[in-house]
Formats: sequence, structure tokens, C-alpha cells
Amino acid sequence: MVSQSNRLRLGVTAAFVVGLISLAACSGTSNGSGSSAKSKPLVIGASISLTGDFADPGKAVKAGYLLWAKQVNAKGGILGRQVKFKIVDDTSSPSQVVTNYQNLINQDHVDLVFGPFSSLLTVPASQVAKRFGYSFIEPAGGGPAVFDAKLDNLFFIQPAPVIKQGEVFADWILSLPAAARPKTAAYAELDDPFAAPIAEAIRARFEAAGIKTVYKQVYPAETQDFSPIAAKIAAAKPDVLVSGTQSEDAYAQVKSLVQLKFSPKFMYMSNGANSPVEFPSKVGASNTTGITSSGDWFPGSTAFGSAAFSAAYIKAYGGTADTIDNTSAESYAAGQVLEEVAKKTGKIDNATIIKTLHSGTWPTVLGNLSWNAIGEPKGTFHLVQWQGGKLVPVYPADVAKAKPLYPKPSWGG
Amino acid sequence: MTRWGLGRGGGFFLVLVALPLFGLQHWVVNLLVFVLMYATMSSAWNLVGGFAGYPSLGHAAFFGIGAYTMALMFHGDVLGSGYEPFIMLPVIALVAAAIGVPIALVSMRTRADVFAIVTITFLFMVQTLAFNLRSLTGGSQGISLPIPPFDAATFERPFYYVLVLLLAVAMLLTFGALHSKVGLALVAVRADEDKARGVGVRVTGVKVLAFSVSVGLTAMVGAVWSYYESFIYPQFAVDPLITIAVVLMTFLGGRATLWGPVLGAFILEAGQQTLAYRLGGSQFYLIAYALVFLVIMLVLPRGILPTLEDRLRMRRRAREVDGAQTPAVELLASDEDKVALPHGGRP
Amino acid sequence: MHALVQGVILGVLTGGVYALMASGQTLIFGIMKVVNLAQGAMVILGAYLAYQLFVSFGIDPFLAIPITTLIMFAVGVAVQLLFLRPLRREDRSELSLLVTFAVALLLEGFMSITWNTSYRSINTGYENASWTVFGYQITQVRLWAFLLSLAALGLLFLLLNRTRFGRAVRATVQNPDSARLLGVESDRVAALGFGLGAATAAAAGSVYGLLYPFNSGSHYDLISRLLSIVVLGGLGSVGGAVVAAVIVSTSSAIVASTVSPSWSEMTFFVILMLVLLVRPQGLFGTVGRGAL
Repeated sequence: MVSQSNRLRLGVTAAFVVGLISLAACSGTSNGSGSSAKSKPLVIGASISLTGDFADPGKAVKAGYLLWAKQVNAKGGILGRQVKFKIVDDTSSPSQVVTNYQNLINQDHVDLVFGPFSSLLTVPASQVAKRFGYSFIEPAGGGPAVFDAKLDNLFFIQPAPVIKQGEVFADWILSLPAAARPKTAAYAELDDPFAAPIAEAIRARFEAAGIKTVYKQVYPAETQDFSPIAAKIAAAKPDVLVSGTQSEDAYAQVKSLVQLKFSPKFMYMSNGANSPVEFPSKVGASNTTGITSSGDWFPGSTAFGSAAFSAAYIKAYGGTADTIDNTSAESYAAGQVLEEVAKKTGKIDNATIIKTLHSGTWPTVLGNLSWNAIGEPKGTFHLVQWQGGKLVPVYPADVAKAKPLYPKPSWGG
Repeated sequence: MTRWGLGRGGGFFLVLVALPLFGLQHWVVNLLVFVLMYATMSSAWNLVGGFAGYPSLGHAAFFGIGAYTMALMFHGDVLGSGYEPFIMLPVIALVAAAIGVPIALVSMRTRADVFAIVTITFLFMVQTLAFNLRSLTGGSQGISLPIPPFDAATFERPFYYVLVLLLAVAMLLTFGALHSKVGLALVAVRADEDKARGVGVRVTGVKVLAFSVSVGLTAMVGAVWSYYESFIYPQFAVDPLITIAVVLMTFLGGRATLWGPVLGAFILEAGQQTLAYRLGGSQFYLIAYALVFLVIMLVLPRGILPTLEDRLRMRRRAREVDGAQTPAVELLASDEDKVALPHGGRP
Repeated sequence: MHALVQGVILGVLTGGVYALMASGQTLIFGIMKVVNLAQGAMVILGAYLAYQLFVSFGIDPFLAIPITTLIMFAVGVAVQLLFLRPLRREDRSELSLLVTFAVALLLEGFMSITWNTSYRSINTGYENASWTVFGYQITQVRLWAFLLSLAALGLLFLLLNRTRFGRAVRATVQNPDSARLLGVESDRVAALGFGLGAATAAAAGSVYGLLYPFNSGSHYDLISRLLSIVVLGGLGSVGGAVVAAVIVSTSSAIVASTVSPSWSEMTFFVILMLVLLVRPQGLFGTVGRGAL
């Protein structure tokens, strides 16, 4: 005897089963590819954080991708194929990013994939791409964990891996005459894969060169009050302050130091201080002078296609060259690399991309890029410094537009 | 019980086992992997939150504990890659259960909403530890696990089958809870804990047992997840939203029922992953999710299965009053799966 | 020693702001037995409103408080009427956790569409001013924030103890059933009470926006802190929430300045666990959870 309630449950179970089978059925109908490759658009899939923690930088990545597609399509596309982006949201979640690249590759059969924003999402995403033989050109995942996996299909589109971002500051300081060099250093580091490691790499170089560490503090992302940290920095009176920062924490550190009226002779902030609009508006333009940071693209850069990028960006999104986000330049460069591969080989498929990019140098808006066997870029960042309310490249000499200013003037000067 | 019950369960798992053999595409299996993770965790949560009436918001802490234990086993060279990590799952469950016992002893001194808050506080503690014990967990840098050396063509299958097995275990335990003295004791705790203690139910023992079994299962899912992602970091290994999703799934399907949490997970997780992919980039995603959430709570406060059963029962009653024909036996039989707790609502 | 005293000063000043946020949350619990997980999101919404009034009309965040509290009062009443009132009383305490969490997500979604997700801060021009007293640094804006929070708490106290509405609220907290028998309209009290809780969130939000940068996701950090505070103080006890807020923020500031900022969050979780081990009802909670 089947009671009604049993029938109900049977129904629910049956619905499950039918649902599962229909999933199977619809996934079985794969679209057979292989029609005329020439006329078909070149579809590039990318999962980007449009909501969640990484939403803002995610949007900057998207802006760069789409801008490049517009540019290249105006020139007739890649090998005659129009470029089309399929961009999906990963809500900043590592589970969703895996699902998204699975779906892009196996459900929508995109031709190529580009990377997401953040190393934390790049690691799982790059492994999905690797598994299915896709190349993984990515502009925003340069942390150590990305290269730990030793993937041969991955290419990081920035001048150097994250931990080497601060090398240029160490290079500059150690190039100064011994008398001018700082003797003591303090380090304030945000506990974040893109911040603390940069400061730590500089610390290793400085300590080896005999610059004494007088204070070091790692602080968590939710730190809101920087006055205790700033007070200890001021008490330690270092010659140089190296801050591994992201954005808000950089502004807060500067504010706290201003409140304490302590200004070190040299000051480097890994990120935040290289934001052309936010930084002066948050800390006050007069407080920026002399602060250094790292950068790759900068307004007025003479690197490959830079002028065209800058003009197109302003036309598409408004603003001025000074308001262009580096992140957009980096994702734009990812497209440029692809374009060059097609130009050089006459082909545009994953195997060709993987094979070709491991040798030679590739011109982009960020300068010339080249990679080792696991996709680590072999170049260096530029040292940028705030002078007269503007961010200018000051080191190394071949890209410098002004001489580095030191010692840093006191706040408000 | 009940050939029907067994048949239903058997059929369901038979289909699950056979599915990948029909040449399912990778993205479908991938989706099912996530759905199964949540189905298992919801079933596990149901043991504490549904039956005993202790709405834990801290289960994600044990998901993270499982994930990190797995990662640490690799780094301590306890494990080789391949299938070995799966064999170690019971050990991970024991570790989590052992951590769960003292936590349960402290937190279960409080009840209902305070218990929920205490457990979510525990979750934030574990997250802070994951950030701060840098030498152990890698801190915010995250920690890598070896890439599973499975063939790309069938890469997802080992994960899929392990999760099917875990779901089977979770459902068997739930079934056991529905049909055993322990289950009765849990329901007594939920109904009136003081009275239950008064009549000699070993309240503390039963509660702690349910909690540690539940978090042990959750930790195993976390361990499988970490191996699948092969890279974990604190924000997402110990993520309050995982708990919230699990609770929502259980509420949607029906608390203190066998099939409710599973149904909830199939609907919500599949829906969410697909929506995030399809509606990608729509700013309204968060609002849509919140609204679905609210509608479920306001329209189906007791979950899909109990609500549907009530409807059916009422219709039948109406007919009985009309014709007085339905034999009483059927009425009894219809309650077979819930001897313990009529309706699955608060008594 | 210097760092310790500096930590105490910072902790007490910050504690005042948290006390204001937590008082609203504990009040809502006292009246309705609802743990409001949206309290943090309401604080952030209050901060955004203050931000918008400052940017669009140049209204100082302190002076904007009467406006933002009125708006948020209406939001609070609406949330209660739309989402909480329909819940059946026997389900309420369990479901309300989920419902208020959904409300938090709803507000977060609304805020990230309206103001997107970049961090905002209210730059009034006086935020960097500070005094140095006996070698200890006191930021002016923090002191004003503290004093304003005290004033708002004082108003709340007067409202609860000197008005008819306040009496109705306290009667409901102590015993909802007899309050109803005595002619208190519990639904109205609940709606107004939720509005009042939201209004305190708005006042605290203006201050929060002055002190810290915030974005739509900031409420997650806030809510974990607020929950610890209200449970530590004893759910439903406004006085307890104030004391707990000061304890929590002082101890975490002390840990931040003497040990490491990385462990400061951990401090109040540990305090909470230890207190619950001895007093499951919190510091000032009663077992029957009645007193206000």
C-alpha cells in the first residue's frame, strides 16, 4: 500500500532523478566544433570578481579586457576573427571560480581563457585551465602560490612577480652613496598576500646590507586604528619606513603619522600610494610629497601602444591620463600579448600560445615582458615618487622622468 | 519501515552512482561535486540544528579545520597524493570530533540564539587562528596542496564518488536518528531540555554526541574540498557564508527530515552556482539572493517537505470528513519516517 | 606603560561608539527576542547617509545625525513590518537570525549598487587634528565621537525611563504577556522598538564614518564584534551592552598596542568564551532575560 505521503516522497525522489538525468542529457549535446574557423569570432572567457571583496579591482580588469577587444576589433580582429569576451562573475569565491572556468571551457567551449583578479583565485583557476590544455594569460595573480604549482601554461602579465615588486626600491636605496643611505628601518606590513611579502623581500635585502631593523609589525586586514602602530614607529625613529600596504591601510598609516607629526627620511608603500587619484584625495595632496611606491604603467609612458591605450581609455571611460588604473593597463597588456603571438605565428590556439610565449620578449604598454618556464616575468617594476602632487617615475634611470627626491620633506611640505 | 524508504534511498544512490558513467560533461560533474558537498553538510547540520534544536552557526569552522588538517597532513609528509588522502578522511573526522567535544561542552550550556552567537564567535576565532598561526597555516598567503594526479578525462570522479559515500553516511546517520533511542532523546532535548533531563535522558551526552558526529562529517567535506581546490586560504576555508548556506538549505528543504536538507542543497547550490555564472556581473545578484532567502523564510517557514505533507494531510482529512473511507492504517503509515517528530516544526 | 595607557584611552573612546551600536541591538532583542544580524549593515547604511549628506550638501556628519536617525528609524520600522512581523511567534527566535541576515544582505546589495564597493571616508578637514596631553595623543574627532555617543545613550536612557513609550517597552521586555494584558500594543512597541534600534545604528554610523573608512562589506566585521558585545553584556541588557562594549574595545586596544594587532580580535572572543563558561547568561543578563 502506498500512502499519499509516501507518494509525495516518491515524487520528490523522482523529480531529483529526472532532474539529474536531464542534466546529463543536455550536457551530452555538445556542440560539435570545426566549422569555418576564419569567420567565427574568437571567444575569450574570463571570470572576474564583479561582486564581493575584489569587485573594484575586478571591474578595472574588465575595463582593460574590453578596451583591448574594442581596439583590436576596430583593426579587423585577430587573424580576421572578431574578438568577443565572455565575462562571468565569480563573486570573489574560489569555489565559484573553479565552476566558472569549468563552464567556460567545457560548457561554452570558449577558444581561450584569461585570468581572474587576485592570486587567491588565480591558483585554482589556472589548474582547471591546465587540465584541459588551455593557456592561462593572467594580469592579476602574481603571488608565490601561483608559481608554486609550476604550471607551464601560465603567463603573468606584469613586469615581475609580486614579491619582487619592491626590489626596485631596495635597488635605489642601495645605489645611494653610503653616507646618504638610511641606517635604521621600520616595517609595517598588512597581512595579505600582496602586501607583507613585498616588505619582507625589501627587509631581507636591507638587513643583508647592514640596515638595522628597529621595528616590525604585521597587522591584520581588519585593523582600523593605526595610531598604536604609528606611535611605535615614531618612537623607534627609523630613517626609512617600508610599508607593505594595499589601499585603505596605506591612507590610514599616513594619516596617523601626520597626526603624530613624524616624517621619516625615506618612505615606501607597496600599494595605495601608487593610486593616482585616491591617494592624494585621502591623505591630502600636500602630504604626499616624497613618498615612493612601485608602478608599471604611468601616464606619458613611451612603452609599446601606450599613447593609443591612454587615448582610447579616456575616450571610452572618461577622466584624464592621470586617473587610469594600473590594473586596467595590465589587463589591456594581456590582450596585446595575444595579438603579438598571432602576428608572429599566424596562428591563435592554446598550444601555439604556450609554446611561443616561453621565448623572446613581448612588447606591451607595461614595457617589454618575458617569462621563465613557470610563467614568472623576468623584469622589474619602476620606482615612482610623489613630486609636486604628481606621481612620476624616478628609477631606474632609463625610465626616470625626474630625479628621486630625498630626504622626504616633512608633512604638508 | 519499510521497503518504500529503502527503495527510495537505494534508487537515489543508484542513480547518483551511475550518473558519471553516462558521459556527463566535466562542468556537470563539477557542479554535482559542489552540490554533494552541501547536501552532506546540510544533512550533518540537521543532526544538531534540526533534531536537537541547537542552531549552530559555527560549522564552517570545522569545514576549515578539516581543510587545514588535510593540508597539514601533506606538508607533514603523512600523505602521498593520489587516493591516499581519501583514505585518511576518517582520521580527519576524528580530529574534528575531538575538537568538537570541548566546544560542545562549553557552548551547549547556552541555548537557541545565544548558542548561535557563541558558535559563530568560535568560527571567527578559528579564522583568526588560521590567519595568525602563520608557520602552520601559511596565514593570509594560503597553503597549497599537491595537484591531484588524476587523469583529466575523469578528474572529478574520485571526488564525486567520495562525496556520494559521505552523503550516504550522513543520510544513514539521519535515518538512524529518526529511528533510534538517540534520535528520540535528541527530539526530547529540542522539545523541552529540562524536562528531558528530569525524566532521565542523558541530555549532555546525547547533545555532545550529535555535535561531534555532525562536525566530523563537516570536516571530511572540508578536507575533500581542499584537495579539490588544491589551494586554501583563511577567508574561504573558514567562511561564515558556508554555514549560512547550509542552514538555509536545511530550512528550505525541511528541518528534522531525512530528505529535506538534501533537497534544499540540490535546489540552492545548483541554483546559486548557475545563477552566478549566468547572471554574471549583474549587480542585482546579492539582492536577488536576499529576496529568495526572505521569501523562503516568510512563505515556507518550515521547509518544502513538511509544508507539502501538511497540505496533503489536510486535503486527505477533508476527504475523510466527506467520505470517511480512508483506512486508519494509512494515516499511521504516512508518519513512518517521523515517529520522532511530527511535522518537523517546533513542537 | 606608555603604550598601555595609550591603549586604554583609545579603547575607552572607541568603546563609546560601539556601546551606542550595541545598545540598539540589545534593545531589539529585549523587545522582540530577535537577534538582529542586520544591525551592522544598518550602521554602515547610516554612515553612507552621513557621507552622502556631507558630499552633496556639505552637512557636517555630527549635524547630520538628526536627519539620518529619522531616515533609519523609518527603515527600521519598515523592516519590522515587512519581514519580522509575518513570522509566527513560535518560530520567531530561530527564523529571525536568518531573516535579519537576509536583510543584511539586502542592505549590502543596495549599498553596493548605490555607492559601489570602493571604500569611502568622510574627510571633514578636522579629522587629523589632535591634542597631546601628558605625552598621550588624543585625536579630537575621537573625543567628539565619544561625547556624542554618550549624549545619544543619555537620550536613549531618558526615552526608556521617562516616557510612556519607554514604560511600554520596558514592560514588554519584562513580560510580554502581562504587558499585553495591561493594554500595551505589542506590535506597535515592536515596530517602534526596531525603529529605535535602527536609529541608534544611524547615529553610530555617522560617527563610524568619521573615524574609519567603510564599504558595503564592512558590516561583516562589525556584526561579529557587536554580537560578542551584546552576549557578553547579557542579551537584552542595555547597561550590560555599554559595559561590555568598553571592556571589549579596551582589552582589544591594549592587546593591539602591547602584543600585536593580529591578536586583538581574538581577545574579545576569548573573553566571551571565558565569561560564558562561568555565566552562560552573560555579565548582566538574567536567566529569564528580563531586566533592561
